[in-house]
Amino acid sequence: MLSYIARRLMFLPIVLLGVTLLVFFAMSFLSPYQLVSAYIKSPEELKNQNLDDLVHKYGLDQPMPVQYVNWMKNVLRGDLGYSVSANMYVTEALLTRLPATLELALFAIIPVILGGVWLGTVAAKNYNKPLDHITRVFAIVGWSLPDFVFGLIMLMVFYGVLGWFPPGRLSVWADNVILSGDFVQYTGMHVIDSILNRRWDILWDAVRHLIAPTLTLAYLWWAYLLRITRSSMLDVLNKDYVRTARAKGLPERLVMTRHVRRNAMIPVATVAGSMVLGLLGGVVIVETVFDFKGVGLLTATGAQQLDYTLILGTTLFFGALLVITNLVVDVLYAVLDPRVRLE
Amino acid sequence: MVMKKLLKNPISMVGLVILLMFVLVAIFAPWIAPTPERYKDDPYRIPRYGWKTNPTPPSKEHPMGLTQGQYDIFYGLVWGTRTAFKVGLIVTSISCLTGIVIGSVSAYIGGRFDEILMRFVDIFMSFPFLVAAIVLTTILGRGLDKIMLAMILFRWTGYARLIRGNVLQVKEDEYIMAARAGGVSHAWILVRHVLPNTIFPVLIQASMNMGSIVVSAATLSFLGLGAPEGYADWGQMISFSRNWLLGSPGNPLEYWYTVVYPGLAIVLFVLSWNLIGDAFRDIMDPKIQA
Repeated sequence: MLSYIARRLMFLPIVLLGVTLLVFFAMSFLSPYQLVSAYIKSPEELKNQNLDDLVHKYGLDQPMPVQYVNWMKNVLRGDLGYSVSANMYVTEALLTRLPATLELALFAIIPVILGGVWLGTVAAKNYNKPLDHITRVFAIVGWSLPDFVFGLIMLMVFYGVLGWFPPGRLSVWADNVILSGDFVQYTGMHVIDSILNRRWDILWDAVRHLIAPTLTLAYLWWAYLLRITRSSMLDVLNKDYVRTARAKGLPERLVMTRHVRRNAMIPVATVAGSMVLGLLGGVVIVETVFDFKGVGLLTATGAQQLDYTLILGTTLFFGALLVITNLVVDVLYAVLDPRVRLE
Repeated sequence: MVMKKLLKNPISMVGLVILLMFVLVAIFAPWIAPTPERYKDDPYRIPRYGWKTNPTPPSKEHPMGLTQGQYDIFYGLVWGTRTAFKVGLIVTSISCLTGIVIGSVSAYIGGRFDEILMRFVDIFMSFPFLVAAIVLTTILGRGLDKIMLAMILFRWTGYARLIRGNVLQVKEDEYIMAARAGGVSHAWILVRHVLPNTIFPVLIQASMNMGSIVVSAATLSFLGLGAPEGYADWGQMISFSRNWLLGSPGNPLEYWYTVVYPGLAIVLFVLSWNLIGDAFRDIMDPKIQA
């Protein structure tokens, strides 16, 4: 197991290098004048200097390989340039916005996996019975509802009409408490911080703001996971070892949990990789709909204002994040299925 | 045979009926929602009836109301159906064709060439489409054509991989060997013997992806990266509704029509494809039938 992880880790730098090359390739479509903001050290530079001087100063008139090395030096130092739309350094913007997105993703991913797998198991156990058909309709409808439409309708009903789940991350009063000196921001994730600060009113406010965006992120993946779990459970149910387990008199519950579900989880783990991909895309939309100030909303506003620096910076960041999550998924896969390790 | 089963299955029947409705709307758009005289040169521009920002509720002349900026919702939806089919068909056909050519050639040649090409495909597939599309539209500029380009760039890989797997299975079959032994050229074998035996599942997959392509395009339009303002496009119609979701104090649902009608159009369109696709999968998969 350890050697498998070590082998995968060895590839990590190579893949990450590939990601930087890809982003640099995208950058090469832009003119040097558009790229300057990715290099400057402070926003004042843009005001006081001639653009041509800046282009020369940061080597943007030099050959591509030299530019790549220069750019990589900046990237390795954690310097991704200055974002005009966010009005701060890209790295700074990403770091301040990241906790919000992490909070959202964490709150979505746990109910997604538990709910999806559970629904799929129920459907497979009741194969071709009414419950199976109900989950099927749920899945098809879920598949067909684009997340931004679903989100807007959630907002209209649960905020506009009922007033339960407001948009944003916190109410104004709670925001003021957080920014006041008494409240220590340990992680930037309001739910965890409020628990650590023992401010239950803020905890409730943060959770209230999380429910609608989380549900919007989750329902689509429920539909997806449910169908995959179902078909993979049906596959496994017909296997000889399941028949053996039943024949030797194991109680049905044990057959299900030990023999069927464990093996049925393998294809589900493969999907987890694409699920992370989908969640990253979903976060952009959900954060835009619910005005939830995370990395996704940052990206969306950046794109609308054609903020190249910010978009390239976030892409690099998303790319690195993806490579690492893919690694985690692969390792998880190896834990679930010993056959993978031995190959 | 497959068609007969599709027609017998109640789920896919519902899907087919809804889809047929959309096809008819797209074909007869000029009769269903005639273009006013002053817009005749560009029927895809949604007519405006005034310059007020607040939406106007449905009335006799405008059965679905006017959305933000007094754009006619009904007109936008009817002509938007054409846009949806246009985007879906163009993206599907080009990406599918690219995928089939690259995937089948790669698998047929095999070896190092195949290996390198597939790693390339891996890179494309491991990137979240939406983020990639955002990057592309930021660099290339916004517009429906740029969105389509982004989708083609990130869609062909799926088809390439699918057909590659099929070709790898077929390529060692006896009839291919026989053709080789008979001195038939590689290109001819690929076109006449390999493709007819491998292309069918890919074409089905591609046609089933129409729904999701239209959703992706609508999503990008919703984020403000798509068609210019006023172009008949479902995603944009929904983005118009964003400012009016909450209605006014005392009447939270005042502007319901701005989001419900365009939302319904997208959902029904995608639903029809998914209903057909779901039934199709069951018909094609003998394991589930047993």
